[in-house]
Amino acid sequence: MVMKKRHPHKTNILLVNITRLGDMLQATPTIAGMKLENPDAKVTVLVEKQFEDVCHYLPHIDEVVSVDLGMTCRSLAREQDGIIDAYEYVGEFVEDLRRRKFDYCLNMSSSAYTALLLNLIGIKKNGGWTADDEGYRVIESAWAQLFATSVFHQNRQFNSLNLVDVFRCSADIEEHPKKLLITVGDAARRHAEELIREAHFTNTGPIIAIQAGASQEKRQWSTEHFARLIRILVETMNARVLMIGSKKERAIIDPIAQAVNSPNVAVIAGKTSIPELAGVLQQSQLLVTGDTGPMHMAVAAGTPVVSMFLASAYGFETGPYSADNIVLQPVIGCGPCNPNKPCARPDCHDQISPELVAAMVRLRLAGPVLSIPHDFADPQRVIIYRSFFDQFGFCDLQPLNATTFDLWAPYRDAYRRLWLSDLGGYAIPESPSSRTPPSALQQARTIEGLGDVITLAQQGGSFIKQLVSLIQDPRGSSREMGVITSKLAELDRKIEEVGFRYPPLGPVTRMFIFAKENLSGSEALGLASQMGGVYESLVDRTTKLNHYFQAAGR
Amino acid sequence: MAQDELSEIAQKMKSEWNRRVSHDYRFWMSDGHSDDTVMWASGERDFSIMTADLPERLGADARLLDLGCGVGRLLRPAARRFGHVVGLDVSEAAIQQAQQFFSDDPRVELVAGNGFDLAGVGTQSVDLVISFAALVSMPVVVVAHYLREIHRVLKPRGVFRAQLYFGTERLVAEDNTLHLRCYDQERFLAAAKYAGFTNEWVRDLDLPFQVSFEDLGMHAKVVSFVREDHAPADSLTIAAALASLKPQGTSVDEVDREANDLEYWMTLNYAETLANRGELERAKATLAYAASFAATTTIDVRDLLQRIVEKVDVPTVAPRDAIWRENIALIARRWPELAATLTNCQENAAITLGSSVDGPIVRSRGQCLDHETKPRSAGDAWARRALKEDRIASAEELVVFGFGFGYHLEALATLSEKPISVIEPEVAVFARALRERSLQPLLARLKNVIVGTPEIAGVFTPHAELIIRPQSQALYPELCNETKAKFYGTRGLTALHPTIAVLGPIQGGSLPITGYTLRGLQMLNQRVREWDVSGFASGYHYVEKFFFDRQKSQGVQGVYLEMISQVLLEAVNEKKIDVLICMAQAPISGRVLTELRNRGVVTVLWFMEDYLRFSYWKELAKFYDFVFTIQRGRCLDEIRKAGAGAVHYIPMGCDPGIHGPVSLTPEERQRWGSPISFVGAGYHNRQQVFASFADMPFKIWGTEWPECRPFDRMVQEGGRRLTPVEYVKIFNSTDININLHSSSERDGVDPTGDFVNPRTYELAAAGAFQLVDERSLLRESFEPGKEIITYNSVRDLKDKIAYYQNRPEERRVIAEAGRERAIREHTYGHRIKEMLSIIYSNKFEQLKRREDGSAWKKMLDRAAPHNELAVRCQASFARGEEPILDGLVADIVNGKGKLSETEQKLLFLYHVRKQIIRMRREEMGHNK
Repeated sequence: MVMKKRHPHKTNILLVNITRLGDMLQATPTIAGMKLENPDAKVTVLVEKQFEDVCHYLPHIDEVVSVDLGMTCRSLAREQDGIIDAYEYVGEFVEDLRRRKFDYCLNMSSSAYTALLLNLIGIKKNGGWTADDEGYRVIESAWAQLFATSVFHQNRQFNSLNLVDVFRCSADIEEHPKKLLITVGDAARRHAEELIREAHFTNTGPIIAIQAGASQEKRQWSTEHFARLIRILVETMNARVLMIGSKKERAIIDPIAQAVNSPNVAVIAGKTSIPELAGVLQQSQLLVTGDTGPMHMAVAAGTPVVSMFLASAYGFETGPYSADNIVLQPVIGCGPCNPNKPCARPDCHDQISPELVAAMVRLRLAGPVLSIPHDFADPQRVIIYRSFFDQFGFCDLQPLNATTFDLWAPYRDAYRRLWLSDLGGYAIPESPSSRTPPSALQQARTIEGLGDVITLAQQGGSFIKQLVSLIQDPRGSSREMGVITSKLAELDRKIEEVGFRYPPLGPVTRMFIFAKENLSGSEALGLASQMGGVYESLVDRTTKLNHYFQAAGR
Repeated sequence: MAQDELSEIAQKMKSEWNRRVSHDYRFWMSDGHSDDTVMWASGERDFSIMTADLPERLGADARLLDLGCGVGRLLRPAARRFGHVVGLDVSEAAIQQAQQFFSDDPRVELVAGNGFDLAGVGTQSVDLVISFAALVSMPVVVVAHYLREIHRVLKPRGVFRAQLYFGTERLVAEDNTLHLRCYDQERFLAAAKYAGFTNEWVRDLDLPFQVSFEDLGMHAKVVSFVREDHAPADSLTIAAALASLKPQGTSVDEVDREANDLEYWMTLNYAETLANRGELERAKATLAYAASFAATTTIDVRDLLQRIVEKVDVPTVAPRDAIWRENIALIARRWPELAATLTNCQENAAITLGSSVDGPIVRSRGQCLDHETKPRSAGDAWARRALKEDRIASAEELVVFGFGFGYHLEALATLSEKPISVIEPEVAVFARALRERSLQPLLARLKNVIVGTPEIAGVFTPHAELIIRPQSQALYPELCNETKAKFYGTRGLTALHPTIAVLGPIQGGSLPITGYTLRGLQMLNQRVREWDVSGFASGYHYVEKFFFDRQKSQGVQGVYLEMISQVLLEAVNEKKIDVLICMAQAPISGRVLTELRNRGVVTVLWFMEDYLRFSYWKELAKFYDFVFTIQRGRCLDEIRKAGAGAVHYIPMGCDPGIHGPVSLTPEERQRWGSPISFVGAGYHNRQQVFASFADMPFKIWGTEWPECRPFDRMVQEGGRRLTPVEYVKIFNSTDININLHSSSERDGVDPTGDFVNPRTYELAAAGAFQLVDERSLLRESFEPGKEIITYNSVRDLKDKIAYYQNRPEERRVIAEAGRERAIREHTYGHRIKEMLSIIYSNKFEQLKRREDGSAWKKMLDRAAPHNELAVRCQASFARGEEPILDGLVADIVNGKGKLSETEQKLLFLYHVRKQIIRMRREEMGHNK
């Protein structure tokens, strides 16, 4: 055990993971880790009612509490006395949760309502988002702050830590199974086998599952691409293709199946429950997918995936969390794009050809892919990664082709080291890893704007010293303190602006802002000293970041 | 009506008239004459009335039928004149008596009828039918049958003459055989036409004693008809044509009792008359007769019986002084000021006394304030009816408008335990009641008595209900409405919480008044929604850029205004309103107003324009429940006629928040000040008058002034539009402010000007000295010479300028008095309060029902157990918001201190909804 921990001991844990299937699967290593590190602890999961059943297939959960947000919204839609219905319902389940007397809570949803809910429940120790008494959102742990920093769109490309790990570390969990988990029961397995039998495939080769649907249209690889891919799989690999997905996704899937028009393509989308889908994936030799819930489920079921991270999807962030999966990340100036913005011209889709995907499928079916032939894929169009776990147990992506055209790789690498060292407390050597050759940008050997941040942070430190002496001086003028406070506010603003101006400094400055926002206490001296620490930490981090970056260039 | 029911009624007529005739035929059938000689004389008189101007063809050989001949009072002269007369009456007793009178007269034939036809009289056998004092007390259905029968028995062109009551339709229960019926003349004549008669004439019946009852609208008539050849309609049709109203009295018991009580009361009065005449034996026999059939009567005749008995035994003088002394002593103990008022009250000739079975009754200007004949049982019935009303039943206190002689109040006090107060508008009525009736128990029971002009402060409580006596309402309609307005209006201000939308114009003079109105409403803690449509003005005028032809642009502008109307309607779909107050020129169409009214919205127009100059009210008035005008008299009538629900006068006013004294820097005084100023648009008469001010130190501010001489030097700052704040600065820095009401047609001062412009009040409230042209309605607001100075001509204006120019102290005193009056009585707060009082008093029930059934009510009820939530809901409600979550969380601002649990829960809900909606949108593929 080398990891820095805030709350190593937990006995009655609440995990708030309310609204998405993928999120719940991604929490499974953390839950398992909680049990590994605190074998006597009870883990309760709070989920939206529609996901309650699914939780029963996720191991290590002791109890599931569901909240019916659908009903709440229906009540609220009625307005008028419907508001009172909803209000009374909230009162009831807050009371129910209070009675359970949790000692620790991990809420990794950044939503305002879960934060408010946690403040209402009043759990003392928190690993993720909560709210203070004034309704402000509070992120107590540095790892959770990193989570918030990393998903901040401008900072995404500088992050190489899988969010599953950041999530896990927010809860101070070090030991974990290095994969996602799901229980596939016998019934689900039998149903899967039945579905495959009913397909009456004529091919006898590998069973390959295809998840063609995506959560957003801009992440949706085209019908033609999928059809071409499937044709190659069926015709050249003797593959049996199962098209999985939800009933709603049939609108996407059916045209593909019709275009291929082969007895070796079976559409089973909409015919499986969640555990049955896991069963189907378990029966498959491989899944081809985008960044989707079924991708995480395949990982949990132990099936390797070849995954395409189109548009806003970003492999480092939410890639398949187990070793030896394939991640295809297009190289394009606009990607990964903002998840909240639509895209009328998804050029990234054409960066990945069906032939390349088919080739990767062929390679992966043969076993873990540790390397690929030179010129296998154009590094100007796509980078192919293999997932693995580093020496600290953090998931990472190893590029199989050149990253010459990935401008941000050295920064990403420097940041990874910084956070593992600074937040995790791991001993990270400053020498670069061999896998990241110097890029053109890196030749400059320094990060632009870095000096400004250090100067500002040092100024902050000296303002704090003045402030502390004023606080300690019984004759200290409150007017002068006010002047310094406003100088500090101005300074912080400047630090934030440097982060906006020089994108590679975005993560470190954003972390600084979160740290300041989450200072706690009301005693002046204590607060001033905490603030001093935040400026010092900014100087340290920025300096370290620079060292890692320069080292990467050597 | 089925034949057997008709027979039943006829049977009842027969038996009751038999009874009466047996008792005293003179009293019941001939005005109560003391002997037969007088009776025959009256028969001669009435016969000549009935046969006046008969056609010549009805000679001595003509045959006559007297329908309802009684004991034959008219048959003697009839037999003398015509060769053959038939007397028919339903009462066998009457016919028997008549047979005695006419036993030796072969010309007279007597028939006891069956009460519904003339069986026994041959078809087309008579030339003339008369009926005196008979049809009037017959049930309508019987009359209808008789009309058909009269047609049958009359020869062609035969004549039918009847004595009837025409006037205000007054029908009693069908089987009542005594009460007088009064028909609507037109209806009766139409019914007669159905029965095959043409009306020849209708004449007043004049007798030596009172036979018409003007106060009841009953006019005694003699009516002459000629029989036509065409066959009569069936009796049902005739009956339906005769009467529009259902007979009064619904239950058989009640009908019986009414008839019984009247007969009883008449009998007792007759007994009293007999006693007064000294005919004690007959009086006693009459008393016995009364007792014989009226043993079960419910009316209290103790007073009357007492009087009769006193007369029969030892007559004494009624102790009126003693009654007064005891009553007033009680009043003095409870309400000393009222006692003083009553003691000083002069006798009023318009207040007269009457008598009834139950004791004295009172009339004011002819209107009886108690029930004419049986005030006690009528009062009881009234009180029972009133108490059945939901609002009365649920009220904690009752306030009755109208005291009369208090019978109804005695009943109410017996039937209800609620505190009762009473308002009697006329001091003399109440004083008279105290002289005539011993009222101590009632007075002791009443919570409060308000006499004279109702000042309801004393009787008003939030849970009191007003019950209005119809008699008092009829007599004092204005006062009654005023009381209602004060009562429910005042009450509405606290008990009702409608959402009131205020719609101003897109531009123009009433735009600032929209703001003042809104503030007035807010000051009264009303739930207000502002519909500011001024932003549409630029679009409205932009249309003009596209056309040379003004008509074309006006046409498109009409469409544009309709679009604004639609915007408002859609806005109501989102945010409900209960009352809509439109300012003059508000852009809302009849279609949308109708739609709003269909949804139960009360529509109000404050028409702050000269109704003669702007006539759009003619089209729009009918869409409004209330129109408030700034003119009185014909304006109110005309707008009412145009279909407005109710029309009231409410003058303009001032907003003390804007219109007040302001302190100005020397520079500001330099800019805004002048010895003489005028603020306003350049209307015709103003241009004409102010052109002659060229040589004065005179500044003009406002738009639409000519740029030519002499105005080029007078008009300030390019004749731009000023804000209210700016013109208040002008008022305050000017020695003499001229106020001249605009006229587009007339020169100078309009000699017939009536309404008062807003400027008058604004100047006064600003504490500025003004000279204003005379207006007929100005005196209601300010006392000329003391609070304001007026002029009636340009000459007069110039003289007054010359006079006041050098008298700053006089100006100051007048301006201060004017300001004091304006603030005391003429703010928009006062105006709005009055407006709401009228609206609430008239629409109290409607608005209350609307509120009780509203979503807010439901939500507030549900929120009640959650203290803080309830308070928050109340606050949101009071702000005029919709019962929606956004309203509830609107003021929960993050970081403004610690959030309560309730606030956190509401915010939680707010964010849940936001998040879920966002996720659903994503799922729906909005996020490509």
